[in-house]
Amino acid sequence: MSGKIGIGFLGFGFLGIMSTLYLGLMWAPSVAIDAFESPAAQRIFYWHVPSAWAAFIAFAILFIGSALWFFKRSPTGWRLHVAGAEAGLATGLMTVWSGTIWGSAEWGTPWDWSDVRLNTFGLLTLLALFLVLGRRSQPDGIETRDTFSTFGLFGFVLVPFTYIATRIWVIRHPGPVVATGSGGSLQSDMSLVLLIGAISFTIFIIGHILTSMHITKLEQRVELLQNKIDRSD
Amino acid sequence: MNMSDVLLAFESVEIRRGMGIVVSDFSLTISEGEVVVLRGENGCGKSTIIEAAARILPLEKGKVLHHQKVVIDSEGRRNTPNVPFGLTLQENGMVGSDTIAEHLSNMMSICKIKTNLAPVLKQYSLDHRVNDLISHLSGGQQRKVSVIAGLLPAMISKSARLILLDEPDAGLDDAAIHTLCEHITSLRLAGHSFLIATHDERILNCATRINDLKQDVEQTPPQGEVWQFPVVELTKSKNFIQNGFTYNFKTKSGFANNGIAGFLTLGILLSLVEPMELENLHGLKMGFALLPAFVAGLCGDPIVNLLRENRALDWWRANTAIPRAVVLPMVGGAVLTIISSYIFLENIEAIVVIVGSLSTLFCSLIIGFLQLTTNKLSRPQAVFIRLLTPILILPWSIVVTELTTYI
Repeated sequence: MSGKIGIGFLGFGFLGIMSTLYLGLMWAPSVAIDAFESPAAQRIFYWHVPSAWAAFIAFAILFIGSALWFFKRSPTGWRLHVAGAEAGLATGLMTVWSGTIWGSAEWGTPWDWSDVRLNTFGLLTLLALFLVLGRRSQPDGIETRDTFSTFGLFGFVLVPFTYIATRIWVIRHPGPVVATGSGGSLQSDMSLVLLIGAISFTIFIIGHILTSMHITKLEQRVELLQNKIDRSD
Repeated sequence: MNMSDVLLAFESVEIRRGMGIVVSDFSLTISEGEVVVLRGENGCGKSTIIEAAARILPLEKGKVLHHQKVVIDSEGRRNTPNVPFGLTLQENGMVGSDTIAEHLSNMMSICKIKTNLAPVLKQYSLDHRVNDLISHLSGGQQRKVSVIAGLLPAMISKSARLILLDEPDAGLDDAAIHTLCEHITSLRLAGHSFLIATHDERILNCATRINDLKQDVEQTPPQGEVWQFPVVELTKSKNFIQNGFTYNFKTKSGFANNGIAGFLTLGILLSLVEPMELENLHGLKMGFALLPAFVAGLCGDPIVNLLRENRALDWWRANTAIPRAVVLPMVGGAVLTIISSYIFLENIEAIVVIVGSLSTLFCSLIIGFLQLTTNKLSRPQAVFIRLLTPILILPWSIVVTELTTYI
């Protein structure tokens, strides 16, 4: 049942993301010609910001799952860890990829190693990649889960660090345009597209997490049944 | 000697391996002069118990005590035993680039005692190979060295010692098993205690108790001569930095693992730019001067890589602190920075050399720490730990910027 709900959310979220992409590229108003070095490239922000938002949700799920496994040995916690890592990887790559395109157009370089925010977010994405690839390289077991949940907990320290970095160390990356506490700096049409994007990505990430948790649960069931067969032989 | 002293105690221990509970509610005490042999079919948990007693495996429940001191418990506490113990793992836990003498000397150093081991080596027909590298020995000979290292703490101590042997007979010939049985008996009569996992009937006969992980069965062991305590002298034990230095200096693993990467980086930089072209690009010049040392550090701790052979890392971790490379990475980082400073900065500033040296040290220690964190995984080499190394790039770039401004 949870698998079908997850797929439903995924599908609905996907349609929303496609709509956001269409609205962002075709409908949303252009920024002032002198506002950016490359005003047309700014449209990628309708993809970049919601995907970063979704990535932070995924990393939060990863942290909660890691903590639940590490402190409570909760099987649901481990499934959340796995789902959070996979969703974090997917949305983190979306964010980094779209960011590098914008960076190339606006800054003339896809990446700036001296920018704290870029680096901490990139590291979070690498951590998600490490967790996904690492988990697949090991047999499932307590040692595997303990080790990777430790890294999941460590990684989440970077989330508030990234958030603070957004506000303190603005080197190249622009400061926040939403949740600034002063009403933001966007036109209403821009805000609407951004809102649709944020909602779509949120629905998509919920679907991703539900589906991933369902798959992990099925994998664990298969392993349990295989062990039962091994013991009965 | 007070024969009632307990050398090893398991209190309601539960241990997992993989997703399954292998050992549940296991309790056992071993007093001075006892030989307890664990017996059971493959996979029943014999090795798991030995490794838990050696503090290698974490506990789900309960605790393990050596000489009445908690050495590991389910709360995550992991204390170094006050009294050294002997350990022979199923894999030998030895580094191939050690000689027999060096490996046994490491064990004696941990015990802070040294003696002439020639008579013991002769009994195992190894006296003629004492200065041979372990990697040059046959599988059976390597096993003999591992068994002798396991027995050593008892052989060189007048007070009772705990010896943990996991399948010591595996790969040994009949003569060596016979000698081992004699040693177990004579050391038991001297008051030392053993916990042994085995299927070998000859070693089973040496037991005072046989435990199938559910219950103990007492038996009368054979009699023999009491162990003749050799002439010994006290020595200082080496710390993890000294042990790391010895390994690094002897094997040149720091050069192979880190140094070559540093020199390659220098070569690549030189192939890309003429140093003269960087005349006014001070930040870039400083970055190029410090890059080879930084890349050398990113290759990790060479000793951690070296000790992954045959579970030597676990052997060291069980017995004492894991050796770490500290001195030579600093020297290597300094050498690389001196060369690259001369090429790119055209002078050698002490502060730049110090920063280069420390960047190699800190990076290798941090990567080594990450490697050690993943060591308890089933396949630690298969994990993608290097994906996390970019965490070091930002601090390094900040240091380069600050140093450029300073100079």
